Amino acid sequence: MALIVDKHRPRSLDALTYHDELSDRLRSLAQSGDFPHLLFYGPSGAGKKTRIVATLKELYGPGVEKIKIDARVFQTSSNRKLEFNIVASVYHLEITPSDVGNYDRVVIQDLLKEVAQTQQVDQQARQKFKVVVINEADHLTRDAQAALRRTMEKYSPNLRLILVGESTAGIIAPIRSRCLLVRVARPTIQQVKGVLGESCKKEGWVVQEGLLERVAEESGRNLRKALLILEAVYAQNEKVTDTTPIPPPDWEGLIGQIAQEIMVEHTPARILQVRSKLYDLLTHCIPPTTILKTLTFKLMPLIDDALKPEVIKWSAFYEHRIKTGTKVIFHLEAFVAKFMRILEMYLMSMDM
Amino acid sequence: MPDIRSFFAPKGGAAAPPKPAPKKKEEEKKGRGKARKVVEDSDEDEEVVEVKKATRSTPKKKAAAPIEARGTEISTSQYFASSKTKPAASTTTSSTPKKAAAKPTPELPVRASPRSKPAAKPAPESKTKKPVTAYKKHVAHDDDAFVDDDDEDAGDDIFAADVRGNKRKKDDYEEEESDDEPLPKPKRVASRVGKKIKDESDEDNFEPEPKKPVAKKPAASAASKKRKPPVTDSEEEEEEVKKKPAAKKAAPAKPRAPRAKKEAEPEPDGVKDILANIPTIQAPDAPPKDPNWKFDFKNKGGGGNVGPAPLAGTVEIPEGEEDCLVGKTFVFTGLLKTISREDGQALVKRYGGKVTGAPSSKTDFVVLGDDAGPSKLRKIKEHNIKSIDEEGLFYLIRTMPAGGGGGKGSENAKKKREQEEQKAKEEVLRMEQEEKIKQAEAARAAKKAAAARGTAAPAPQPTVPLTQLWTTKYAPTALNQICGNKANVERIQGWLKNWPKHKKYDFQKRGADGMGGYRAIIISGPPGIGKTTSAHLAAKLEGYDVIESNASDSRSKKLVENGVMEVVNNTSLLGYFAGDGKAADVGKKKIVLVMDEVDGMSAGDRGGVGALAKLCKKTEVPMILICNDRRLPKMKPFDHVAFDIKFQRPTVDQIRSRVMTICHREGLKMPPPVVNALIEGSGKDIRQVINMLATAKLDQTTMDFDQTKAMTKAWEKHVILKPWDICQKIIGGGMFGSASKATLNDKIELYFNDHEFSYLMVQENYLRAKPNAIGGLGLHPKEQNLKYLELVDMAAESISDGDLVDRMIHGPQQHWSLMPTHAVFSTVKPASYIAGQFGAQPTFTSWLGNNSKYGKLSRYVREIHSHMRLKSSGDHNEIRQQYLPVLWHQLVKKLELEGKEAVDEVIELMDSYYLTREDFDFIKELGVGEQDEEKVNIDTQTKSAFTRIYNQASHPVPFMRATNLPAQAKKPSRDVPDLEEAIEEEDDELAVAEPVDDEEEDLDLSKDKYVKQPKKKAAPRKAAAPRKTAAAKKKEEDDDQDEDEDDDVTPAKAKAKPAAKPRGQPKKA
Repeated sequence: MALIVDKHRPRSLDALTYHDELSDRLRSLAQSGDFPHLLFYGPSGAGKKTRIVATLKELYGPGVEKIKIDARVFQTSSNRKLEFNIVASVYHLEITPSDVGNYDRVVIQDLLKEVAQTQQVDQQARQKFKVVVINEADHLTRDAQAALRRTMEKYSPNLRLILVGESTAGIIAPIRSRCLLVRVARPTIQQVKGVLGESCKKEGWVVQEGLLERVAEESGRNLRKALLILEAVYAQNEKVTDTTPIPPPDWEGLIGQIAQEIMVEHTPARILQVRSKLYDLLTHCIPPTTILKTLTFKLMPLIDDALKPEVIKWSAFYEHRIKTGTKVIFHLEAFVAKFMRILEMYLMSMDM
Repeated sequence: MPDIRSFFAPKGGAAAPPKPAPKKKEEEKKGRGKARKVVEDSDEDEEVVEVKKATRSTPKKKAAAPIEARGTEISTSQYFASSKTKPAASTTTSSTPKKAAAKPTPELPVRASPRSKPAAKPAPESKTKKPVTAYKKHVAHDDDAFVDDDDEDAGDDIFAADVRGNKRKKDDYEEEESDDEPLPKPKRVASRVGKKIKDESDEDNFEPEPKKPVAKKPAASAASKKRKPPVTDSEEEEEEVKKKPAAKKAAPAKPRAPRAKKEAEPEPDGVKDILANIPTIQAPDAPPKDPNWKFDFKNKGGGGNVGPAPLAGTVEIPEGEEDCLVGKTFVFTGLLKTISREDGQALVKRYGGKVTGAPSSKTDFVVLGDDAGPSKLRKIKEHNIKSIDEEGLFYLIRTMPAGGGGGKGSENAKKKREQEEQKAKEEVLRMEQEEKIKQAEAARAAKKAAAARGTAAPAPQPTVPLTQLWTTKYAPTALNQICGNKANVERIQGWLKNWPKHKKYDFQKRGADGMGGYRAIIISGPPGIGKTTSAHLAAKLEGYDVIESNASDSRSKKLVENGVMEVVNNTSLLGYFAGDGKAADVGKKKIVLVMDEVDGMSAGDRGGVGALAKLCKKTEVPMILICNDRRLPKMKPFDHVAFDIKFQRPTVDQIRSRVMTICHREGLKMPPPVVNALIEGSGKDIRQVINMLATAKLDQTTMDFDQTKAMTKAWEKHVILKPWDICQKIIGGGMFGSASKATLNDKIELYFNDHEFSYLMVQENYLRAKPNAIGGLGLHPKEQNLKYLELVDMAAESISDGDLVDRMIHGPQQHWSLMPTHAVFSTVKPASYIAGQFGAQPTFTSWLGNNSKYGKLSRYVREIHSHMRLKSSGDHNEIRQQYLPVLWHQLVKKLELEGKEAVDEVIELMDSYYLTREDFDFIKELGVGEQDEEKVNIDTQTKSAFTRIYNQASHPVPFMRATNLPAQAKKPSRDVPDLEEAIEEEDDELAVAEPVDDEEEDLDLSKDKYVKQPKKKAAPRKAAAPRKTAAAKKKEEDDDQDEDEDDDVTPAKAKAKPAAKPRGQPKKA
């Protein structure tokens, strides 16, 4: 009894409900026999992974669905042992090199070479090559990406890569030029609603159009999120109506609370309180950029229009700093201080 | 130099002696050869430095004459004492030549010029032969007293006789003296006279009394005047230069007390006037005592008022007369407005005043600031103490005459000081005497040795200038020379004395002081307070021969065992043989082993501490261990094997007399306040004080307060500040105040005290400070808040900037040269904005804790992610942000709300995602806000039911965790259902099963080459225990063998455990 988001996941290209041209393209690629390296990119919850799995199934048949997790140990040059999990079927491997942080290069070098140098064991296999799916490709370090470059060309008879990432920004140009770029856009609200309705029907839940609409809105067209929200709503309420409240995820709730606190009082003492809440979020693995972004958007409705551009500006400023710095709390706190100052100044000028 | 000499010639320069007597002397000198000259030369050389001073002094000299003529301006006892006595007996005057003679002698060793070496010996001797004329006799006496040890007694006698002879004469001047100087010395007049005069004669080296030199010149016999070598003159000049302004200024300020008044009065009128005119302030009433009132340590920990003065730097600190506050006791309380308390106290001390902590009946003034403590205010009322503020203090300093105005307090203080000086003098005498004896002995021995060898006695060796460090030269040679910790030294001595006795009893009788039970003692204490010296001294006094081993020797386990052990069973050769011509000292057979700097046994001395501790238990000779910090974990082995003796830092008073003695001996002029400052500045480190004196002596003959301060500052031991102190200092330390003299570099330096923490601490605490920048502008509270926010924002932005720099440093680029930049951005600049009142103790940075918590939780997320991977898409961030809130509801919340009924459902969902029982806890812990772990309250019954049911069934595992170890051997043992079921059946076995399991693994691992080490650690411990009981006493040396054996023993031991065997065996098969 898994969650519906996984239970109702489409298994084949035919089952996909939106981006039909893309599905057709993928199908023809898989059937052509000349399968290029692919780079899937798009926001999370758009269906990249689902499409990849479906494509693989198209390539190899149902064998790719028999997957297991392999734990491998790699040794770095400094003799540190890295434990690394690989999701693998007979035909393909799925790896997340960013799991090992800065040592991803080691994994890429060792693992890809090993895979590339062995031929497909299964003589009945439809394809001669193995596919390696690299998750979070846009988070690969420069070194790891450089290590990929030559491998992609040299071992292409035995190996095809599918890179997955949120955007192509983090991927160096040489890699991009070696791949076929596949953008998976977010589904539209209507498409999301359609998927949600489908799932409800499969589960035998009462379909509330209004609710689905709201869920789709709330999710920001992130299908995974939408399905999870839907599940949460149905799980937590005996009777679901159009007006059933949609509970925000825990962390979003906390950020909303922070926004309220910031608005109520503008003092350094309050910054201190906010700091501990920010720490809470950070330690519980909410990415700082997500925090900043969510916080900004939670603050937006609470302030006057005249202030908004300024706030957005500083939000962007500090988001950049979060990316370039190391101790994210400093920047988050600086944003809070800046916001308070701007707001206080604005309010003072209003008073006068 | 010569021109200056000629300038002074009429007053007694050696260059142009107009009188026959000096001439004669001059001839004598010439006759005696170069020696004398050399001495003078060397002095001249030295004086070159003072040329300027000397010239300056000239006009004053001229001025001095008229003063003398009028005889009204100078009013202290010395003035009259000297002027009156001079005609009667030149005892006082003779001090001058004495000084001249005494001075060069101690100087010789310091300036180790080859020419001065031969000069040393003849010089004093020549003087003893001098008594020809009457005047010379006096000179001779003094010289004897100071230089010639052999004749010392005689000299003293004569001196005493002189004094006695003059008694009658002096009686009447004494009365006069008491007139001028309203001294409260009623009874002891007669007895004091002699002493007094002697005092004076001794004093002139450093006593800031202007009168004598002035008075001496006209009154003293011309002969004595002329005789004075130039050195003396210029020295006097110099003295006078310093004193002259004092005298001059003092004169108008202090009208002479009427001569008729015989009674000693507490304060001279002038001083009284001053004291009456001090702008006093009314001490506020103390708030009524509230029995329930508790001191709020949190907000104003001890010394809450010690902070920087709010208006620091707005006033000019006045200059006052030297020692003008002598004998006055001050108490500082409350927050002063214009100067910090520290500065205020330093000011008082500088002028000779005394600062105490709490007001009492002896307190003269209370310097009162804001927020004074209520108990102090009460005391002030009670004792009716004069309360002044800083203004009053400044007024005092400006107006009080030098020397404290001769009030009762100041007189007492002076007396005390004189006594101290007297003591120092005596010490010097004794020291010189000792040296003489030693020299004589050495000469005798040399002669003897030469005679024995049949060669001619070598020409009497000129005194070899001591090239020792002062610290060695002035190391105490007797118990009474030790500064502080006397009791401890006596204990050591007593212990050493009784050691053989205790040994007879095999250290079973502990004795009264409990030291009888120890073969060794361990001395601990801060550096520079004489631990090593004491140990050596005690050994010497008890006739032990010292064998010392310190950090310069390698002291590893092996070396301690082999090297030291041999020593332990030996006697000293010194008991049987001695060098040429010396008798063997039979008492020297005993050996004491001094292990110095035990805490310096470092990485290179592996096992040394342990071996030494072992040695302490069975040593055959007394052992003295010395360390700085007894509390180090490293020192733990000595806990019960050595008697602890803790050395404390001596008090200033304890050190001072010794330091004064040394100053005398070396001819360094140091007024007591200066000595005090020096001692305090060095943290009562005697060694450092002496070293500082030695340095100072190289280029100057006197030190004043400021020089001392500068020197102690320069010599300041660099104390690495703790992160808290850094934070406190940079935010709350007034470093950014307008009056602060701290440079940017000083502030950056603070950061570097602990560059890993300082900026984190600033970041943690910058929001807790109350910035000075918002106060005092008269802002509306709202405006104030805005201003505050502005400052905070700027600080936060700067911290944010700093982080970018940090990335440059610690990131891939590694631009370590940017550290100062980082210091400025992350620490100094933020602090500059929000620097101000910082009441509470800084809190430790929470970044570290949060960072490690983040590490832990992100590991959980990855763990969960890796389990869910087969079922779900999305990376770990998506898992955390999207799946977990839902899963939390479906798992944790469900269990909380529905209790036991939900258990099956929950487990089913978990299995579908391959989540383990651990993951359930992880999910619980990962909740935040509404889903915070602390808000979850699953009742224990449900929880245990959940655990039980979960453990009953086997659960799908998504993967096997692989390691690099022989996987086949390990996998079965990790077989989850197997174990789990075993646990289920019998709960008791859980405890048994697990350790057994560990054991197995160990055994399996034994095939691996890596495993050897952990086993060694574990095995000997277990194996050793039974062995010790069985074979009662095994030699320690066998231990190594034991360890080797243990390796072989382990399999046997494993077999002894039947539980482990059946489980281990099939696995290996």
